[in-house]
Amino acid sequence: MKIMTCPINGPRPVQEFVYGGEYRPMPDEPAASDAQWADYIFNRSGEPGLSREWWYHAPSGTWFIAERDNVKDVVLKTYLFDRANPPRAGKGATP
Amino acid sequence: MSESKRLPPQFGEWIDRGSPVRFTFEGAACEGFAGDTVSSALHAGGALMLGRSFKYHRPRGVHSLANHDVNAMFEDGTDTNIRADVTAVRDGAEYRAVNTVGGLANDRLRIMDAFSRFLPVGFYYKTFHRPMSLFPFWERQLRSAAGLGKIDGNHKRNRTPKRYDWCDVLVIGAGPSGLSAAIAAARAGASVVCVDENARPGGTLSYAYGSEPAAQGRLDELLKAAASLPNLSIRCNTLAAGYYADHWVALVDGGKMTKMRTRAVVFAQGAAEQPSVFRHNDLPGVMLASGAQRLLRRYSVRPFESPLVVTANADGYRAALDFASIGIHVAGIVDLRPDGEPSDLDERVKAAHITIHHGQAVYEAVPRDGLVGIKAAVVCPLDKQGELDTDDGLTIACDGIAMSVGWAGADGLLYQAGGRMKYSDEFEQFVPETMPAGVFAAGRVNGVFALDQKLIDGERAGLSAAKYLGLSSPSTLPEARRGPRSTHPYPIFYHPKGKAFIDLDEDVQLKDLVNAETEGFDNIELLKRYTTFGMGPSQGKIANANTVRVLARLRKQSVGETGVPTSRPFWHPVRMDALAGRGFHPHRHTPMHSFHESHGAVFMLAGDWQRPAYYARPGRSREECITTEVEAVRHQVGMIDVGTLGKIEISGPDAGAFLERIYTGRFTNLKVGSTRYALMCDESGVVIDDGVVARLGEDRFYATTTTSAAASVYREMQRYAIVWGMNLTLVNATGLYGGMNLAGPFARRVLQPLTDIDASETAFPYMGMREGTLADVPARFLRVGFVGELGYEVHVPANCAKHAWDALVSAGGAFGIRPFGVEAQRVLRLEKGHAIVSQDTDGLTNPFEAGMEWAIKDDKPFFIGQRSLRIIKKRPIARRLVAFSLGAGYHGNMPKECHLVIDHGKIIGRVTSIAISPTLHEPIGLAFMPAEKAAVGTPFSIRIDDGEMVAARVVKAPFYDPHAARQKM
Amino acid sequence: MPLKLLKFGLSGKYAEPRMFRTPEKMRDTYDLVIIGAGGHGLAAAYHLAKDYGMTNIAVLDKGYIGGGNTGRNTAIVRSNYLTPEGVEFYKESVRLFSQLSTELDLNLFYTERGHFTLAHSDASLRTMRWRAEVNKHLDVNSEVIGPREISKLCPYMDLSCGGHAPVVGALWHPPGSIIRHDAVAWGYAREACRRGVEIFQKTAVTGIDIVDGQVTGVQTSRGPIKARRVLSAVAGYTPRITKMVGIRTPIVIQPLQACVTEPLKPWLDQIVVSASLHIYVSQSSRGELVMGASLDPYELHSERSTLDFVEGLVDHLLDLFPFLGNVKVNRQWAGMSDMTPDYSPIMGTTPIKGFYLDTGWGTWGFKATAVCGTTMAYTVAQDDDHHLIRPFNLSRFGDYTLVGEKGAASVGH
Repeated sequence: MKIMTCPINGPRPVQEFVYGGEYRPMPDEPAASDAQWADYIFNRSGEPGLSREWWYHAPSGTWFIAERDNVKDVVLKTYLFDRANPPRAGKGATP
Repeated sequence: MSESKRLPPQFGEWIDRGSPVRFTFEGAACEGFAGDTVSSALHAGGALMLGRSFKYHRPRGVHSLANHDVNAMFEDGTDTNIRADVTAVRDGAEYRAVNTVGGLANDRLRIMDAFSRFLPVGFYYKTFHRPMSLFPFWERQLRSAAGLGKIDGNHKRNRTPKRYDWCDVLVIGAGPSGLSAAIAAARAGASVVCVDENARPGGTLSYAYGSEPAAQGRLDELLKAAASLPNLSIRCNTLAAGYYADHWVALVDGGKMTKMRTRAVVFAQGAAEQPSVFRHNDLPGVMLASGAQRLLRRYSVRPFESPLVVTANADGYRAALDFASIGIHVAGIVDLRPDGEPSDLDERVKAAHITIHHGQAVYEAVPRDGLVGIKAAVVCPLDKQGELDTDDGLTIACDGIAMSVGWAGADGLLYQAGGRMKYSDEFEQFVPETMPAGVFAAGRVNGVFALDQKLIDGERAGLSAAKYLGLSSPSTLPEARRGPRSTHPYPIFYHPKGKAFIDLDEDVQLKDLVNAETEGFDNIELLKRYTTFGMGPSQGKIANANTVRVLARLRKQSVGETGVPTSRPFWHPVRMDALAGRGFHPHRHTPMHSFHESHGAVFMLAGDWQRPAYYARPGRSREECITTEVEAVRHQVGMIDVGTLGKIEISGPDAGAFLERIYTGRFTNLKVGSTRYALMCDESGVVIDDGVVARLGEDRFYATTTTSAAASVYREMQRYAIVWGMNLTLVNATGLYGGMNLAGPFARRVLQPLTDIDASETAFPYMGMREGTLADVPARFLRVGFVGELGYEVHVPANCAKHAWDALVSAGGAFGIRPFGVEAQRVLRLEKGHAIVSQDTDGLTNPFEAGMEWAIKDDKPFFIGQRSLRIIKKRPIARRLVAFSLGAGYHGNMPKECHLVIDHGKIIGRVTSIAISPTLHEPIGLAFMPAEKAAVGTPFSIRIDDGEMVAARVVKAPFYDPHAARQKM
Repeated sequence: MPLKLLKFGLSGKYAEPRMFRTPEKMRDTYDLVIIGAGGHGLAAAYHLAKDYGMTNIAVLDKGYIGGGNTGRNTAIVRSNYLTPEGVEFYKESVRLFSQLSTELDLNLFYTERGHFTLAHSDASLRTMRWRAEVNKHLDVNSEVIGPREISKLCPYMDLSCGGHAPVVGALWHPPGSIIRHDAVAWGYAREACRRGVEIFQKTAVTGIDIVDGQVTGVQTSRGPIKARRVLSAVAGYTPRITKMVGIRTPIVIQPLQACVTEPLKPWLDQIVVSASLHIYVSQSSRGELVMGASLDPYELHSERSTLDFVEGLVDHLLDLFPFLGNVKVNRQWAGMSDMTPDYSPIMGTTPIKGFYLDTGWGTWGFKATAVCGTTMAYTVAQDDDHHLIRPFNLSRFGDYTLVGEKGAASVGH
């Protein structure tokens, strides 16, 4: 069982967590065309690499962002979401 | 059975001669001692043949005695596929070999061996399919010939708890290097667990060094040192079955599994001895030298009477000396190396009057009648290219061949841990190249073969692990020398008549590999899949190394370039009951569960919850019971446990605005003390949940969700609150409150005497919400109308819920109150035409299709799904959920939910809900219909089970009480 | 004994020809490059060569023939899907599979076993009926049966399921079959090679050249190739390829794990699936129980195994077959599944001229191998989507016209 570090509760077994998918900021709604909106709704940055994604620590109800190497399955860092300083969208370079 | 091969008591033996064990094998009485494995006891009793091979049913005997002897697999009436070579013999057991027809000795399938020339590699791919109509016949033949043990349908599941454990350093393997590593790490202060799959610690020290004076007493010293360290524990009979991410190792002992979390791992599992490949190298009497030495040293059993030793390393010489030391006549040593053994072992062997044949190899073994053993070996000289000169063969009489021509590191878990290995041409084995953090290897798996060097290598690994953990900081680490080279580069000899086996599990012969490569299966993984080498129960532990050598030579490439098949868990197979553990299936019960049970509730699962489907009554059918419950609600009063609904409290200045973003409707204008229907879509506009939102105060709301979506709705609300940066607090109150819906014309009369609120229509109208008490406990009351009668949904703290329920039941007695279940509720809401999300909608249904357009307030700046719904709305809506009826006079076969609507032979729709309405006395339902056929009055046809078409007609919903007068009484 | 085996035995010499050629050099130009030498890519190559006379084709694979999900699935073939689009498509696949041994002159061990999808609740029984009705309508043999009939067909099953989730019925699909999965790839490869197709193993694609929205070539680890058509049939590697051409798709990669027991004498004829218990199991011709469960819960481009998977799977398996406690699990493995939001594939033409996709196979791609061969061959040859795959075009996500197969596909291998 993998270990995941919750920013609030520290290292916990991964079974306590729920994967929340890739971090994807919503496009500016009125400005987005129908095609841009459909792209946001359905398409994903599915390629391998450093992925910024949502995770949820279920017992404590904590949502946070994990930066994970989705090839090696190594969590590089986890932190709480900060609206003032949101994560970059999309896949990063392979770490 | 012939005379006993048991030796007088030997130093270090694993058997307890004071505890004899009696058992039968193939019906014959046998005996052994406690501490024997089944194989050692049988071999001691003179039974050479222990099993039949998988494909050709050739006799097979003791080979490795190291959990690789999968041709000696037994069943005992309870258990199956018992590995005889490593399983402790059980008193009173009745063992039989698996996979024979008519018993081991007279196995009728032994004729397969004579047909082997007609069964070349992959034969089954090339025949039996013309004509295809005959293949099912052939497939049955092939299937029953394949497979090993038989299942026992009466076997009881052994529910065994799993253990969770942790340590600083896990050392896998308690041989000299493992023990040395464990001691070094423990001395540095680490908590250390050292596991070994064998019954006792010692590894090679327990069998390989009987002839080495310097080795005597070494094991005792190590064990004494280990015993003095309280932070070191040694666990034998413990298999490290698989390595998983973050140093999570599955340990299996007996029937139990321990999940070990460690901070560092030392892999010291040694090596598996590899056979030489020659004709008849599979027969009883042909053994790995280490297997013969295990018989001898651990179980005090004579492996043979007059063996030939074929070798290419010092280990073979030690084995020969071992045999000689107990008075076995060694028929000679055949050393593949032209220059023989460089160490003083050469002198010692000569002193023991053992003949050595340098630069020679065994070309074939000469079988005894019936292949149940061998009587001689044909030995031929090797030329400089490593080819045998088969014209110059020498036949040496012997009853066994001990093979010691090479080793392959037991590196399966090391690979799983992410260790990268490279092939060392110097040592002819794969050795570690780079290791992930916290992973170390020691001993033979690291290419270190000399005993003194293994001890040093173990110490190095143990100290390295301690250093990695920050427990010590030695300025220098001891360094061990790899070698001596103990593996021959190509101990594999072709024989035109075949029967030179590469893989004993799967009966793969050398010529099979050659033929498969010729056919184009020239990649190690393709070769594996085509020939099935390495796919048997031992997973190629004594087949892969030779196969890679063969393929490398055929492809004219190096062993390193050829590579090895991917290593996967498990190292040895693991029983399912150990993996399953005790089988833990939690169900959730509401506070009213005991009431439901004592009132005959038939439960159904709703997520993890157990909910009453209906309350069974003696002598009444399911349908009658449901109808009675429906009628109670319509005519008197009924009550349903709704405690499983999700309940979420939303409070804070942004609470109203938040709900308007979450749900499709408006909530900022909801009056305090009122409720409103709430519909939730996902971002793509698909309906995913619904419920009711109540306004408790200016900044406080209370929302319910469907039972199955409770956790996910709360979770997503939490996420959106963060993303939107809204000022509010969310509390998941699902388990905090019990809930009950009291519904029916007498609901108010039941409720009023028990509550401090004014339950009258004027004071507490439909869609209102009040807080007060019920039977003296705090309660929230919601006037909702899902079932279409005057109704009060009451939420009370969970620990008071049963009290409140009982009070209502008791007060309702005079009014004919009856508890009702989910089935009756389904009928009641259907009469009202209400859709159930996920029953009347599917994974792609949008609100327009579901007829829920009224719940969408598109004049808001934003709600989840709004933008997608605007896109969807631009196009014509393809299907609509409609209400239908079969007509009051319908008495034919009833359609069922998910029967299809057929029009001119095409599927045009589907029934999502249907029931015979006890109130209207006609079959009514909901169905998806094409938008152009959704108008009230449209006739359509439903096809039911037997293909019959049933006529239906779109009608106006609701079926019952269209103006909702009964809810507003 | 069949004649062919006698011939083998008596010929004295091994007389089988090579199954696949390994050309020394790649040509400069091919009419079509197929990326991925799995079942799908090879089947398309075979049908292009056979049905459309297109033989100047290179099939490239960074690994070996059939080494991806073709060799990692649990080898089940069935057509009991939920949507009419899905049922029509898989019905054709089952038809082609049932004749494939003859077509390819290789015994693929196609054996009809019958396929149960167990229902443990009313809700899942409703979905079973939905599937059965759609299936029957399209002449696919499926029906909802009750516990008594299940017991009659599979007497070993504990229908009380350990008491915690009793079986209330099942979707019974008699044509459900198993097949020797590797051999499917070998058979297509052999017949494609025989017709002139060239297969290059251990050859990775590193880039795809596009000029003015038209494919012009492929960069490989062995050098560049000119080609105006490229078919990507790489399952778990799809996002890497679509990134090369600049197409965005909904594909997310998640591992699907499986495991196998030691061989046993035959006792389980049918394929048994339970979505509620998250398991499926069948017994191979070799006697092993081949078992799988649901997808790993998060995106991962790796074929690693986990202990949690096998613990959970076996726990549920023992609910159905409690007597298997002493049977041993031998080996675990995993494949990378290319998941779509509606559990239907993504196939056919794309916004890039000359670039065709065969992806979105999730956990059910193997059973589509045969029909993908014919439909993708048509699509590439005609540069027009075959009618069976038109609903599966990538454009459906822009149009909000998804094909909801989740009810039949999840854990329904």
